[in-house]
Amino acid sequence: MFYVSMFFQYMGQYMKTRLQYRADLVVEILSDLLNQAVNLVFILVVFGHTQLLAGWSKDEIIFIYGFFLVPYAIFSSFFNIWDFNDRYIVKGEMDRILTRPIHSLFQIILERIELESLFGAVTGLIVIFYAGSSIGLEIAWYDPILFIVFAIGGALAYGAIFIAIASIGFWSDAKNSIMPMMYNIGNYGRYPVDIYNKVIRFVLTWILPFAFVGVYPAAYFLGKKEWYAFSFATPIIGLIFFMIAVVIWNQGVKRYRGAGN
Amino acid sequence: MSNAIEVKQLRKEFKVFSSRSGLKGAFRDLLTRKYKVVPAVNDINFTVKQGEMVAYIGENGAGKSTTIKMLTGILTPTSGSVRVNGMDPHREREKFARTIGVVFGQRSQLWWDIAVQESFRLLKKVYKVPDEQYNEHMAHIIETLDIGPLLDKPVRKLSLGQRMRCELAAALIHNPPLLFLDEPTIGLDVLVKVKIRQFLKDINQKYNTTILLTTHDLADIEAVCDRVVMLDEGKIIYDGGLQSLKNNWAEEKEIHFQFLEEVRLSQLESLPLLFETSWDYDEKNQTFIAYIKEESDNISQLISAVVSHFKIKDVNILETSIEEIVRNIYEQGISTAVRGV
Ligand SMILES: Nc1ncnc2c1ncn2[C@@H]1O[C@H](COP(=O)(O)OP(=O)(O)O)[C@@H](O)[C@H]1O
Ligand SMILES: [Mg+2]
Repeated sequence: MFYVSMFFQYMGQYMKTRLQYRADLVVEILSDLLNQAVNLVFILVVFGHTQLLAGWSKDEIIFIYGFFLVPYAIFSSFFNIWDFNDRYIVKGEMDRILTRPIHSLFQIILERIELESLFGAVTGLIVIFYAGSSIGLEIAWYDPILFIVFAIGGALAYGAIFIAIASIGFWSDAKNSIMPMMYNIGNYGRYPVDIYNKVIRFVLTWILPFAFVGVYPAAYFLGKKEWYAFSFATPIIGLIFFMIAVVIWNQGVKRYRGAGN
Repeated sequence: MSNAIEVKQLRKEFKVFSSRSGLKGAFRDLLTRKYKVVPAVNDINFTVKQGEMVAYIGENGAGKSTTIKMLTGILTPTSGSVRVNGMDPHREREKFARTIGVVFGQRSQLWWDIAVQESFRLLKKVYKVPDEQYNEHMAHIIETLDIGPLLDKPVRKLSLGQRMRCELAAALIHNPPLLFLDEPTIGLDVLVKVKIRQFLKDINQKYNTTILLTTHDLADIEAVCDRVVMLDEGKIIYDGGLQSLKNNWAEEKEIHFQFLEEVRLSQLESLPLLFETSWDYDEKNQTFIAYIKEESDNISQLISAVVSHFKIKDVNILETSIEEIVRNIYEQGISTAVRGV
């Protein structure tokens, strides 16, 4: 309950700060929207040339891509921790975090919220409706609920991977370039995994579960029965990986060395 | 009376990596990095009672900040035990954090981009401080620290002195029974220092708040603390009152004179004084230095004797530095310094 109330307190503060710089906010929203529009055109143009891929039609591939954008947008808004190492470990901001009575990871998530990224979800929804209507998908009453559950599950899986990677900073003070690499690997989850070889498919399912951010949950809405087991595993996988990431994080905090001098 | 801090055989080691030289060395570093284990805090013991005001001092790199970080739950000790407010700071961090206030002089505890009062408001929620308590308690703090006019400014726009006062207020929002201050007066001008010292004494009297502070300024200690714990290379080399520390190891005071006229060393040495004074001449700065024992009114006697014989351009009384005291302790032997509390 305390954590829910803290969530809204920080959100409120975030909004207030944003609204204070109203001109910046307008410019930022416009540039975000433009960004998303370019993204949209890009997706349609690129996939316009794609043929049938491993049994997936062009529209299905676009649909998966659109679905991916939704959990990805949630991830970007709430797990904005790509610069954790520089900001909190090298600069020693972690000292401040650790003297406050809220779980350290939760505090950092709260401090780094970036709601603008949620615009990406709007693009995702547009793409989904565009592709879905070309395929002629029906929407059942429970589909929106499953959609939300799967999107959150996917965002948790995505967040878990990045939390685990951010935790490396607690063990090693070497500058790591894994973070950007992971953003690239994350893109593989946007495409049907059966176009990859077995090893990559295994990795994207069980080690870096990016497939649960895109293709697996999307397969449910596309009516691909052979993937349903994976689709419905999405929230469970998301939760399990997230819990593992938090355990790694907690172990890391014990190793925190401080910024030194 | 209960103990606010209990530290037993507390130790913190850091691995310090060193790189080998040359290309071959760089390759070998890739495989196995060479490192030394440095004990920043070396098996120390001490207790602090509720309501005590303790100065934790020592040279740079002595291990003061490392100790404070272990006491506040930021760092996990390598070995030994820490009980602060009856808890293990690292194990029960979230519960523990509610019972302490922390100020780091070198690093802001406040959010950089938001107005001070927004930070306060958020911290009030974080620490679940009820409205009445906040209004009464904070109104008093804001007034004493004179930060009312700063409240609507973002932290990044404040000067160091202004920021420090706000940091202090922020650390006390939940009125913690224990306050840690790591170099709270570093880089501040004298007026702000005086204000902060007075403030610390006030809250100690009003709420019996325990205070542990590190500083390089003996005047801070003189004004605020009844007890001094001195650290050197991770070990406690003195634990006791400030007065006996000064009596035993800060015995000499330096007084610097510059004159408007030609003065010879022998003239100064033959001044009629009732106590021992040794003189030195610093050619580079054209300054004469008198070394005297700091006893009764020695200083004023010396100055009045000098003034009545020569025309003075400038006089400077140097406070013995902590570094100097450490040096003196070493010269006279550590064993005589450590005394039980
Ligand atoms: N994070 C760290 N990594 C490696 N060495 C450190 C770290 N923090 C402190 N040290 C070393 O530990 C010793 C004590 O440092 P510190 O506690 O900051 O001293 P003080 O606060 O008394 O100046 C120093 O030698 C310092 O270099
Ligand atoms: Mg220090």
